[in-house]
Amino acid sequence: MKKILVIDDEQNIRLLYKEELEEQGYQVTVAATAEEAMGKIEADKPDLITLDIKMPGMDGIEFMRKLKEEKRDIPVILCSAYGRYKQDFRVWASDAYVVKSADLSELKLTIKEILGEVESQ
Amino acid sequence: MKESKQGLEIFQDIARIANSTLDLNETLEKIIEVIKSNLHIDACAIYITDENHKIFNLKAASGLPPDTAKFIQLQIGKGITGWVAQHRKTLALSDAHNDPRFVYFPEIKEENFISMLSVPILVDEQCIGVINIHNAEKRMYTDLEILIMETIASQVSGCISNAMLFSKSQMLLKEQTILYDISQAVQTSTKLEHGLWIILSGITMGEAGGFNRAMVFIINENTNTLRGFMGLGPDSSEDAFRIWTQWGRKKKNMLQWVVSEADKDEYKNSAFNQLVQNMNFPIQPGENILVETVLQKTSFNVTDAGKHPLVSDAFVHSWQINAFATVPLIAHKEVLGVIMVDNKYNNKPISNEQLRLLTRFATHAGWVIENSRLFTKLLETNRELLSTREQLVQSEKLAVLGEISAEVTHEIKNPLVSIGGFARRLENRIKILSSKYENEIELKNIADYSKIIRSEVDRLEKLLTNILDYSKAGTLQRAPCNINELMEEAIFLFKSGFYLKDIAAHLSLEKDIPLLNLDKTQFRQVLINLFYNAMESMPSGGKLTIATYPENYVGGQKVITLRIEDTGGGIPQDIYENIFNPFFTTKSTGTGLGLSISRKIIEMHGGTIRIENNIGRGVAVYLHLPLQNGPD
Repeated sequence: MKKILVIDDEQNIRLLYKEELEEQGYQVTVAATAEEAMGKIEADKPDLITLDIKMPGMDGIEFMRKLKEEKRDIPVILCSAYGRYKQDFRVWASDAYVVKSADLSELKLTIKEILGEVESQ
Repeated sequence: MKESKQGLEIFQDIARIANSTLDLNETLEKIIEVIKSNLHIDACAIYITDENHKIFNLKAASGLPPDTAKFIQLQIGKGITGWVAQHRKTLALSDAHNDPRFVYFPEIKEENFISMLSVPILVDEQCIGVINIHNAEKRMYTDLEILIMETIASQVSGCISNAMLFSKSQMLLKEQTILYDISQAVQTSTKLEHGLWIILSGITMGEAGGFNRAMVFIINENTNTLRGFMGLGPDSSEDAFRIWTQWGRKKKNMLQWVVSEADKDEYKNSAFNQLVQNMNFPIQPGENILVETVLQKTSFNVTDAGKHPLVSDAFVHSWQINAFATVPLIAHKEVLGVIMVDNKYNNKPISNEQLRLLTRFATHAGWVIENSRLFTKLLETNRELLSTREQLVQSEKLAVLGEISAEVTHEIKNPLVSIGGFARRLENRIKILSSKYENEIELKNIADYSKIIRSEVDRLEKLLTNILDYSKAGTLQRAPCNINELMEEAIFLFKSGFYLKDIAAHLSLEKDIPLLNLDKTQFRQVLINLFYNAMESMPSGGKLTIATYPENYVGGQKVITLRIEDTGGGIPQDIYENIFNPFFTTKSTGTGLGLSISRKIIEMHGGTIRIENNIGRGVAVYLHLPLQNGPD
């Protein structure tokens, strides 16, 4: 079973993602901050990370940078409330960028693509 | 004794006359009367020379044939009078007809006279005139008579030089007044046309310049040509007569009239003005005399156009003139144009005095042009500043709006995602429940309610996306731009950096490069990244070559290629493999994003980036940018 780490500072979003992704058959752990997430990566060795950009403390982009510095080869999907960061050069280091929506089908599809569960379009 | 008393009376009379009036003709007439009534003579005549001291004109006479005599002109060296003028010596002849120097002038009816005394009028050793007395019967002139006449001649010389000085100072005064009036009038308008029209009016007014026609040509720096700007003058002889009589009547408040006429812009319709305005000559040696006036910064006074080395037959033909003058218009030592004048209708030759006055007008005209140029420039700059400021305010407003809407959206979006997300989950759960308990009508209602929540959230999400798309439109803001200019702009930012690190930048830019549709800001970012890398690779100096090439094909695509090459020794192989990886950097201060971002931007433009790593020598970066728009 593939493991996904959901990092988001909003509790309800974490819950929503957890329930929805578990229904898809993944093992989901959550972290409310980037700092918390660092420990979970060590412990759980996730196959994929969904990462919120705007968070108190270390933000998503900084977290991603740290991840690359430590040469951890875990795919990252950036999730943000709006598409603004699409123009930010720094987000290009991520594997995918998904604008948050109540409809999670885009996120689910992207996860499947990255984990090699479907042919990418 | 009687004679000496007579001499004294004559001198007293003449001194009184000389002091009574400054009008030369009147003085001369009166002097002749005194001579005639005191000495026993039959005729007396005074000749005065012209400016050149070559021709002597009869100015005043008594006892000569009344009508024709007024127009007598004698040449220096010819006849008795000519000899006296040339040798500046008195000649007393009891039998003038038999003297070898005698030349018969029918106008004077010299057969009526036998004896003649001719005395030169001298000023500073120069002969400016001659006084002649004639007697019908043969007689000898006494020494005293000769002395009296010579003394009178010296008195007359004083009168003449006074009168000449007076008329000269009168003329200068008049010129000054007119120039002052003109400069006052010119200041009433900032419009170039009006200023120049007033000056050309001054040049052509009988009171001042008195030229028949005047025209202005102005240099166009952009096209390097001399362009006809305005012509003022009658279209025909009849027109000339009409205008001059009109001006004659306006004499008193000429100035106000000129200023008010300038406002009417009527002169624009004249055929002559249109003829001048259609003229346009390239500024190159050998073009024509107008262009030569510009190139040589000097005036020309052409008296015989057909024979002048700088005047072509075509030029004479197109203007139909024989005598004309050109003067350069100069301000701040720079030639701005040319004024040309002629006397097409009355054919008067242009004197040096006139040319001098014209030069003064030209100085004014030069300043008018310069002032108007500065004024126009000021207006333009002001307009630019205003529009730039408006743009700034506008873009600042938009930026603030964008910032606020982004914040607000973010704050709304997260709760919306939760609400909508759980509404969907709710809907799904109820669907499952409904299939279990088919008869529960309440469950169906709940399903409808959650559906409403979901669809309303969808609606709100769409709304937010639209707002954000509006404030942050698109990904690439493309506009046609010249890649050479972008290069130069970017290189400019590194000027001091290169200088400090002793890096010499060599630009070899393809001149005729087509415009490319690029996002300027992002593309500039690429150049800055590449220049920065190059600079960092050469900490102790080197050479940076920046080149653009004409269109060629890369990967089946028509592209423009740029090359940025340093002499920084190249990249070690293990590092080279990682250079495009995000966050990969060898610099303590770098983000490690420079090259990956650059590649991303180039790819967004549909182009490619290629790196040629020559270990030990340096790095060459090639950017290939397609002529057609690539994907965004």
